[in-house]
Amino acid sequence: MLSKLGHLVSLVIFGVVFTVFSSTLMITAQTTEVEIWSWRSQDAEVWTQVEERLKSEGIPVSINFRSFLATEYDSKINLALAGGTGPDIVYSRRLPGVRTQSLIDARLLIPLDGKVDFSNFTSSVLKYIQSGGSTYGVPFAVQVVGIFYNKDLYNEYGLSEPETWAELVGNAEILQQNGITPFFIPGKDAWALVMQHAMSGVSLLGPDWIESLTKGEVNFLNPQWIELNRKLNDLKKYYQPEFLANTVAEQDASFAFGTAAMVFYGIWGYQTWKEFNPDVSVGYFMVPPDDPGKEPWAYVYMDGALGLTSSSKNPDMALEVLKFTATPEFGTIFSNVTFNPPAVGGAELPADPLFEEVVGASQEKASPWVYWVGSVFVTGKPSLYDDVLSPGMQAMYAGKITPEEFAKEAQDAISQWYEPLKR
Amino acid sequence: MKIKFLYIFLFMVPGILLYTMFVAYSFGYSLSLSFFSWPGVGPKIFVGFQNYKDALVGIYSTEFFRALSHNVYFFALVTLLELGLGFLLALALATQLRGYHVFQTIVFMPNIISLVMVGFIWGMLLNPQIGLINEFLRSVRLGGLARGWLGDSDIVLTVIILVNVWRNVGFYILILLAAILNIPPEFFEAAYIDGATNLKITWHIVLPLVKPTFQTLTILLFIWSFNVFDLVYALEGVQAGPFRSTDVLGTLFYRTAFGGLGSARLDLGLGATVASLIFVIVFPVSILYVYFVERKS
Repeated sequence: MLSKLGHLVSLVIFGVVFTVFSSTLMITAQTTEVEIWSWRSQDAEVWTQVEERLKSEGIPVSINFRSFLATEYDSKINLALAGGTGPDIVYSRRLPGVRTQSLIDARLLIPLDGKVDFSNFTSSVLKYIQSGGSTYGVPFAVQVVGIFYNKDLYNEYGLSEPETWAELVGNAEILQQNGITPFFIPGKDAWALVMQHAMSGVSLLGPDWIESLTKGEVNFLNPQWIELNRKLNDLKKYYQPEFLANTVAEQDASFAFGTAAMVFYGIWGYQTWKEFNPDVSVGYFMVPPDDPGKEPWAYVYMDGALGLTSSSKNPDMALEVLKFTATPEFGTIFSNVTFNPPAVGGAELPADPLFEEVVGASQEKASPWVYWVGSVFVTGKPSLYDDVLSPGMQAMYAGKITPEEFAKEAQDAISQWYEPLKR
Repeated sequence: MKIKFLYIFLFMVPGILLYTMFVAYSFGYSLSLSFFSWPGVGPKIFVGFQNYKDALVGIYSTEFFRALSHNVYFFALVTLLELGLGFLLALALATQLRGYHVFQTIVFMPNIISLVMVGFIWGMLLNPQIGLINEFLRSVRLGGLARGWLGDSDIVLTVIILVNVWRNVGFYILILLAAILNIPPEFFEAAYIDGATNLKITWHIVLPLVKPTFQTLTILLFIWSFNVFDLVYALEGVQAGPFRSTDVLGTLFYRTAFGGLGSARLDLGLGATVASLIFVIVFPVSILYVYFVERKS
């Protein structure tokens, strides 16, 4: 009896294993794999949904999404593509910038004009991935940075969104008097400090001033630039103690759980804050200008694009995937998973007041002139981002240099290579 | 005789092949790359000695020499602490008091933890708001000493060195303990009979006989100190903050060759130049190391 039972169990196990194995083989045999590399680990779910969507439309694709550390990503891409072993699709950085330009110059990215329908993108977005008149990727996200605040704390202390810098400082003062940390600043992550400087700059200096800087009509020694440095430096008394030792990850936790009232950050943080604390109520405002007569501006930039590589083993199927990423349907999936504004137009955005407000700001109040990512000041060496503002913000906040010395460092560095400022 | 030579050669072939592939070729390629500007893809542009000029007297010189000075400081302090502390603890363990095996194991344990994990653990312990170190200081009414250990440019490099000492001191204790236990016991017996104190025995017998081990370890520490990267990377990232106060040649090389957030210049040529300059610093000391090891054997 036991022996018969054993045979029966063995038979059932064999049957199950055979069925699973054969169905897996069938799926593998019927689908074509498209490999995608990225620095954005949070996009994994996007590609799962894209694969399901394409399959439901009869496109037999299997998407293999891999993410890498942002700091290692570019070198991995370079080496893999140069060796002909890269993926089918890569996330590429925006132009101008040597990282993507070098891939284009080496013909490792394939132009997509005539292959992908770009009619759902604005020219202001596409320009960040165009070189020599060709388009080398499908933009996936537009990022918006500004000040995000805890609405519950603002309501509790009767605060309203500030319209001037002085009002912002006033709000911070009230919060601090009530034992709340007004701002959580991740000072250990220098890039976040640069972002803070840049988003403050578009409102406090204004796009016209930044245009003048770009044209060389003013320089970094201008009193307005020094004043911006000073304003930021004066604000540090409202940051959490020892803020230069804190990271973005700590900022996310602190803000999500309401131990800090405001952060200078990007909309991409919203996904994380909601994951940490689904009840967190977040508001957004652009950094307010110093003069009530002036308008605030939003720092908006194209985050990156999806490019077809010369190493693609399945270029036809990769192209099918890229065609889909240029549709509003992709934008809908992308924005609903990541809470990042999609670069493609016409998407059904998440019904979330904060998200709608941020997207509105990106469409109506994007500063046309900037000096951080997407600007000419980060295309040479020393770079305003990596070599000046990154260490400079930390040094100024640590009290090692004055706002004037910080300005001089910027002028000395950029005037080494940027022609309009050499004068 | 010919057959013997052939056998010797055949036995050497695998080693020669591996050495050529992974050491000689890599080094030669890196050296040649240092005369080019190359972002990793596309054509390499020959720039002659421009990369060396940039690193030593040009726009990169401030970064290069700042990083170099941090390596020198790193070497000086780890040598003092790891060998000094290691020797004292090895002396204590050499007495072979009851339970010394347990202590030896405890001290050596951090050495088996990966450096990335060490970075994570200490990153948590040193957190300014919730870290155990500051919590402890506050609990014993020394809250005035609590600080942002990894965000204070005046102390952060020293803090990283102390973490390094915490992890590695066990290794030096083991080596020095072996050297001390290797000293023939008759030396100590004779010294005690002659009325020598422990201090005199340490100074006149232990230290001179352990000196060759010290020399070897110092040279090894020099080589490791000028190649240090992972702990700085784990605790402060590729930007080696705050404002490059923890930048060492390893992180400078990484940032230059492989980029990082915000890097505008991703130049493997300039990175290879930094690597070649590290080699120029480390190579003579490596020769010295080989000389001492040969002499010892």
